[in-house]
Amino acid sequence: MKSQVELNGMLDNVVKKKKGIWQQSLNWRTALLYLLPSLILFSVFLFYPMGKTLYLSFFLTDRQGEANVFVGLENYLYLLESEAFLKSIKATILFVLYTVPTGIIISLFLALLANEKLKGIGFFRTIFASTMGISVAASSVVWLFLFHPSVGFLNKIIASLGGQGVDWLLDPKWALLSVSITTIWMNIGFTFLIILGGIQNIDEHLYESAKIDGAGYFYQLRRITIPMLSPTLFFVITVSLINAFQTFGQVDILTQGGPSESTNLIVYSIYREAFVNYQFGTASAQSIFLFLCILVVTILQFKFGEKKVHYQ
Amino acid sequence: MKTNNKLLVLFAMMALLLIVTACSNSANGEETESTEKTDTTDASSSSQDDSTDNSTGKTEAVFWHAMSGAGQESLEQIVHNFNESQDKYTITPEFQGSYEEALTKFRSVGGTNDAPAIIQTFEVGTKYMIDSGFIQPVQTFIDEEGYDVSKLEKNILNYYTVDDKLYSMPFNSSTPVMLYNKDAFKEVGLDPEKAPQTFAEIKEAAEKLTKKNGGATERYGFSILNYGWFFEELVATQGGMYVNNENGRSDNATEATFNGEEGLRVFEMINDMNKAGTYGNFGSNWDDIRAAFQTGKTAMYLDSSAGVANTIETAPFDVGVAYIPYSEEAERHGVIIGGASLWMSKGINEEKQKAAWEFMKYLQTPESQAKWHVDTGYFAINPAAYEEDLVKEKWEKYPELKVTVEQLQATKPSPATQGALISVFPESRQQVVTSMENLLQGTDPQEALDRAAKETNRVMEQAARANQ
Repeated sequence: MKSQVELNGMLDNVVKKKKGIWQQSLNWRTALLYLLPSLILFSVFLFYPMGKTLYLSFFLTDRQGEANVFVGLENYLYLLESEAFLKSIKATILFVLYTVPTGIIISLFLALLANEKLKGIGFFRTIFASTMGISVAASSVVWLFLFHPSVGFLNKIIASLGGQGVDWLLDPKWALLSVSITTIWMNIGFTFLIILGGIQNIDEHLYESAKIDGAGYFYQLRRITIPMLSPTLFFVITVSLINAFQTFGQVDILTQGGPSESTNLIVYSIYREAFVNYQFGTASAQSIFLFLCILVVTILQFKFGEKKVHYQ
Repeated sequence: MKTNNKLLVLFAMMALLLIVTACSNSANGEETESTEKTDTTDASSSSQDDSTDNSTGKTEAVFWHAMSGAGQESLEQIVHNFNESQDKYTITPEFQGSYEEALTKFRSVGGTNDAPAIIQTFEVGTKYMIDSGFIQPVQTFIDEEGYDVSKLEKNILNYYTVDDKLYSMPFNSSTPVMLYNKDAFKEVGLDPEKAPQTFAEIKEAAEKLTKKNGGATERYGFSILNYGWFFEELVATQGGMYVNNENGRSDNATEATFNGEEGLRVFEMINDMNKAGTYGNFGSNWDDIRAAFQTGKTAMYLDSSAGVANTIETAPFDVGVAYIPYSEEAERHGVIIGGASLWMSKGINEEKQKAAWEFMKYLQTPESQAKWHVDTGYFAINPAAYEEDLVKEKWEKYPELKVTVEQLQATKPSPATQGALISVFPESRQQVVTSMENLLQGTDPQEALDRAAKETNRVMEQAARANQ
């Protein structure tokens, strides 16, 4: 009996040595099989275009948009010293700083309000989340009228209060801020809804125990709600960041990147370079740059931000 | 549980990241798709390339246009009238978005069987279309048939004539004019029948027309839309060139010249008024500046001749129409034509080209042009249309419309008023707009202009390199 087992063991060893790599990669191969459908889809719709973008970024394109003259890194070097592109990066970073924290704080505040169990709270929840249902184009047009230089509602309010109207979209100092306000307003619906969902998922028992221990509202907020909400907040922050980097519609409708290129955010600048100026080379270089930016920001976030996230 | 959640979030992040790259890549996605399309069309469409509809025996030709609103309505009626007027051809109008969008689509199908027989392209796309090799100059058909173009408006034909060849058929043409508030003129003691015409007169009138209330300005004297076209026109009316080599008409333009003295005078005029607080900045949106005029926030502004009838109709005060101003240091040369023209595709079925040509001729008839002019405010390419009853009635109602036609007919033909030919015009316009905005923020006029010229030179040079 014993020898039989030993023999089997020896046989196993021999087989293992013989088919080592093939056998060991079994899991890997199975995984690949499962991933195959998505890999095929990604290759067609993501990896191929991405490769093509990288390729185009080393060329000048002719009238048909075909890569024609190889210029190496010239497109990138040009971007780095181009005043317009640096301005566009600066505007994008400022825009992200204006919109992401403000949007999340306001949404968090609204979600906390809407989480109270009051009569008719459902109505307010609907109202707070309603901007989610409005398209970027529609809400931009609404704001366009609010900001209107001669018949704008906002300036009328200011004037009726005795103040002096502001050139919302015409003054480079104000334009980015105005676009940010619009964006914050538009994004609140989505962030609000996710955060509210997160809050409602927190175990009631935690609050009950805290109450028994005599913890006040703000103590509970700091020690229970925020930590328990951290995965949701982390998700919302990441999505908002990526969204902010990608902003296009508002800019296109409200300012077309002006005045003095103060709202020429990077995606809008890519669009203009590619489809108004037909410079696919520089547009591709900008796309690659944007991709790297978002990649770096997301990695940094996972590296540092996630440490603060508390998973149940 | 912990790792599970973590994984989930990670997956969500990854998915998002992929979406991000997808978005930033869509530009090239479309590009590659289109080239593939170009490759396959020859094979796949050869079977349907004979688009003759067997059931009716009519040849169908597709017409891509960029007219929306009233323009689209009127255009579709004209096309309908054409289709009814004969039984050999059918024109199918297809709206393709703005001029830019239509042109981008055309780039991907140009030169193939999928290309529309006719495409409407804005005036600044002229150079691109000529160089693209996708189009058949209409001169070919004019010569073949001995079609008489002399009955058409000479100053409009001039724009689209390059090397003595008429490349495209003019269609919707407009020029800039100055509109002013006659009531405001009376109010401040200016003669409402005599509009200021030189830069100095404009400055002076603007000074009087500006009305301040405390720190706020209730009414500005003068405004220009932040749009490159108006700058081009103000340079051209002084006889100034936008680019070298006779505005790019004797040879390919290699250098911007709009930062010369003529351009500087325009920028200095704006700068002086802006500093004096008499110049209103209403951005780069046509509707905004029109609203500013309608609500009395600005007393004079430049608009397209195509917008005149509508402005007169809706304004709650008397509107005056005048020629665009020129510098007292220069002679008045007139205006460049703006708007768009119709181009014929090359490489499509000959029958389709014939259909397109017949349609183009039909468009130039006085009846079609009269309808077009009355419906939209664009010029009649065929001046005989101005004798039609339809137009006479309209002019009786709005005698100011005549000013726009007179300004066009008084224009002296020269390379300056023919307009510049450069393939990178859209980008150059953007640069000029940015410079105008910088100027309004206090940048020195010469410095602002030089920046736009430098950028224009760079893109022209790059375009020349890329297309060698």
